[in-house]
Amino acid sequence: MKPRLIVLLLAPALLLFALLTVYPLVRVLVLAFTATEHGFAEARFVGFENFVELQEGRAFRRAAWNTVAFALMATISELLLGLALALLLDRAFPGRRWITLVLLAPYVLSTIVVGAVWRAWFHYDIGFLNSVLRSIGLPGVPWLFDPNLALSSIVLVDVWQATPFCFLILYAGLRAIPPELHEAARMDGAGAWRRLRDVTLPLLAPYLLVAGLMRTVDSFKLFDKVYAMTGGGPGNATETLSMHVHRLAFRFFDIGLASAAALVMVVVAGLLAALYARQIMRPPA
Amino acid sequence: MISLRRTFFAAGFTAGLLLAAIAPAAAQDRLVIAGRDAAFGTALASMVTAYQALNPTVRIERLELPGGQLYERIALNARERARALDVLMLDDIWAPEFMANGWLANLDQLGGVQGPFVRSADAVSRGPAGQMLAAPMVGNVAMFAFNAEILARHNIAPPTTWTQVAAAGRALQQAEPGSTPIAFRGVRGNPIVTGFIPVLGAFGGEIVNAQGRAALDSPQALAALQYFLSLRPYLPRGVETWNANEVRQAIEQGRIAIALEFWPGWAGTLDDASRSRVVGRVNLVSPPGETRGPAPMLGAWMLGVAADSPNAARAADFIRFVLSAENQKRMAIETGNPPTLTALYSDPDLVQRFRWFPAQLAALEAAQPRPRITQWNRVESILGEQLQIALIGQASPQEALAEANRQIARAMAR
Amino acid sequence: MTAGMNERPAGPLRIALALFVAGLFALPLLWMLATSVKPVGEYMASPAALLPQAPTFEHYVAIGEARVGRAALNSVIVTVGATLLALLASFPAAYALARLRFHRRLDAAFLVFVLLVKLTPPIVLAVPLYQVLRTLGLLDTLLGLILVSQIYALPFAIWMLLGFIRDVPMALEEAARMDGARLPQVMRDILIPVLAPGLAATGVLVAIACWNEFLFAFLFVQSPANFTLPTFIATRINEDETLWGQLSAIGVLASLPVLALIGVVHRALSRGFASGMH
Repeated sequence: MKPRLIVLLLAPALLLFALLTVYPLVRVLVLAFTATEHGFAEARFVGFENFVELQEGRAFRRAAWNTVAFALMATISELLLGLALALLLDRAFPGRRWITLVLLAPYVLSTIVVGAVWRAWFHYDIGFLNSVLRSIGLPGVPWLFDPNLALSSIVLVDVWQATPFCFLILYAGLRAIPPELHEAARMDGAGAWRRLRDVTLPLLAPYLLVAGLMRTVDSFKLFDKVYAMTGGGPGNATETLSMHVHRLAFRFFDIGLASAAALVMVVVAGLLAALYARQIMRPPA
Repeated sequence: MISLRRTFFAAGFTAGLLLAAIAPAAAQDRLVIAGRDAAFGTALASMVTAYQALNPTVRIERLELPGGQLYERIALNARERARALDVLMLDDIWAPEFMANGWLANLDQLGGVQGPFVRSADAVSRGPAGQMLAAPMVGNVAMFAFNAEILARHNIAPPTTWTQVAAAGRALQQAEPGSTPIAFRGVRGNPIVTGFIPVLGAFGGEIVNAQGRAALDSPQALAALQYFLSLRPYLPRGVETWNANEVRQAIEQGRIAIALEFWPGWAGTLDDASRSRVVGRVNLVSPPGETRGPAPMLGAWMLGVAADSPNAARAADFIRFVLSAENQKRMAIETGNPPTLTALYSDPDLVQRFRWFPAQLAALEAAQPRPRITQWNRVESILGEQLQIALIGQASPQEALAEANRQIARAMAR
Repeated sequence: MTAGMNERPAGPLRIALALFVAGLFALPLLWMLATSVKPVGEYMASPAALLPQAPTFEHYVAIGEARVGRAALNSVIVTVGATLLALLASFPAAYALARLRFHRRLDAAFLVFVLLVKLTPPIVLAVPLYQVLRTLGLLDTLLGLILVSQIYALPFAIWMLLGFIRDVPMALEEAARMDGARLPQVMRDILIPVLAPGLAATGVLVAIACWNEFLFAFLFVQSPANFTLPTFIATRINEDETLWGQLSAIGVLASLPVLALIGVVHRALSRGFASGMH
């Protein structure tokens, strides 16, 4: 292909990238070292002041910790549950396709709809979950207002919504394993557990990696569900980095501080991206 | 080929739709109102219906949002001159910021709004030159509510100091083990701060002093917070998530005996036997004192016209409509919305229905606004978060106040 | 795919467990559906009950009066517009990338870039994007939302299409080129028909993401007349529990279109991702 043609073909996409991704990222980089007196205009250079403030304040550290804790809890639970589901459905029976489709349903829903529904489920007095618990004689659970439980409750919602995704990826992986391998292992006298450990899991590793990567990425951005369910509370028990940046930017209009926090997020995102890309691009052993 | 033609058709169809969507909806006779939810929302909704009936050609949109979200929306709209909103409902504490930045249209130049309004509510509606930049819609003043019947049953005198409030809580809990007799709005942000301010004031503390400096590092503030947290054993489980609805219901159902802050705007159904189990038993009084006497706190909500509204005249007309004596009376009867027109506090129908009106007017006339600073929203947000962190035990009162003070100092310096 | 005959059949216990788990996952959706047709009083009386006793459409009528239809139309406009734009911009780009030589190294660079974009939280870009949209005069417009949707839609679409285009043998195009066809003609007559299923799958996945997009729609659109469904819902989540019926009704409306497309998602996840990873 001629270079001119290549440029022509790439131009629309490049233009959009430049305008919507590259320019904003550069702006964030600049704004992170400024203070603004009034909303978005009139920025003034302040060096590292914003980063010092982030480092000193407890809110940012707490938000970072919450985000990491959420990402770990959610990704690990979703992978394990997804694997269990994939193994469960890895046998032929009538109606299996329908069950798969039903399982996938939560994944395609709007997170804000999901947040609204679970907010109602978690309501302490008249929520669905506590009403069910009380009807069988158990005490209600303070799902969203116990500071030690609130983040886990949101993890629960994420697990409900995203396990189907992990399940499908892993399910596809399971079905790509040639049955002969299992047969051979069985011939050698390997039990179910050993076949899982020595045959299934190693062959599933790339699928686990992709599913885990995708889930970590989404968990890192967590915003909608928290916004709909707790608004970051109680205290700052469920304040995530995205929520924190949102509050700094669109409630306090402290654009410099918000950009500094955003920049930290981008750097972490970049590191993760490079790490994962290396893993994925590594030639299969 | 067929698929290609279909693609073109789809593209053309979409382009048509897009054009239809992008074409500005005739801006002349639209009215976009950004207002509160809950009882305020019900009141505004009924006003919109009535106004629409009189003006059938106007296209009215009403946003119904919780306080925090309402602030975010109207502040962003104003800062970025989005021209998307016409009538803004404002908490009186947001007014300094909106007025100082020129985000509100001068109502005097739009035909004015007929008063006279209660003094304190009138004062917060005016700019530095005395011009009317907003008009008060809700004449709220923080009251203290107690169930007289429950207190009398246990021989407890109505408390007039915060120490007596705590003592009453202890006595009530001893009389009925497992009960949680005291409550307030524990949601982070504005609600919990609003519950704390009367305590802070009575202990002689301040959030921001007269020189505009952060002042939460005082021994008085620490004493106030330590007192506030000492109420913990008498508070219901989950009070951190309680908002107006929960406090109202708990008082109405007789589940709590004392509400630290209770707004007249919530009292509309207190004596309504179809909803309330405490008809005639709950008293609304001025909040208790401690080292200082009580200082009733103003909580007015007002209506203003966005400075960049393309329909300012229409917006002002709507505000006049809502604040007319006839409609304020209607809102009071329908939703318990406390009026702002002084005259309505001696209206025989209303006084008969709301027995606390004379006391309310006295409190309103004497009410003090919260600090009139342009950074209030951020200050409140900071303190609201730290108060809740202290309440749920994730930080000591000293730590919480120090962190709040540090952040507030930064906010005030900007 | 090694499905089918030689697969071992499931025992009854396994089937029962699978059904139970599927029921568990479906429960919140069933609750939403049931709550959307329950009178307010009925819900408050027995929140644990699932089946409505006296079904009513009052919540649907109520949200209809609140102009949910217009929010739905806005969502449709943004979704269709954003999907078409993403496909139009990504197809030529993916073609160019797929047919370039040295694509191994380019792959790596492109993968890092796609991952970086995918990892960048939308809130990070929100502040500068606000300024971009204001400069373009696109704040508070649906066109602005269509534009910002491309941030995530475009890399994703390119990534998906790249895999599909690489699967098309060069020989197919070369034959047409021999006959003197120019590139636009080759694309139209050879590539697009062959790639139709891939384009459709890509389009559907992009469309679902755009349909559900919340943060940008919430921040960049101020006028209620331009709200999309997620914003419409978010501005109705407040402390008034009696609105759960209405919220559920909107939830049902917002979920039906994406649930109808679930088969496509299923296929894409079972196949597309698996092929994209090697």
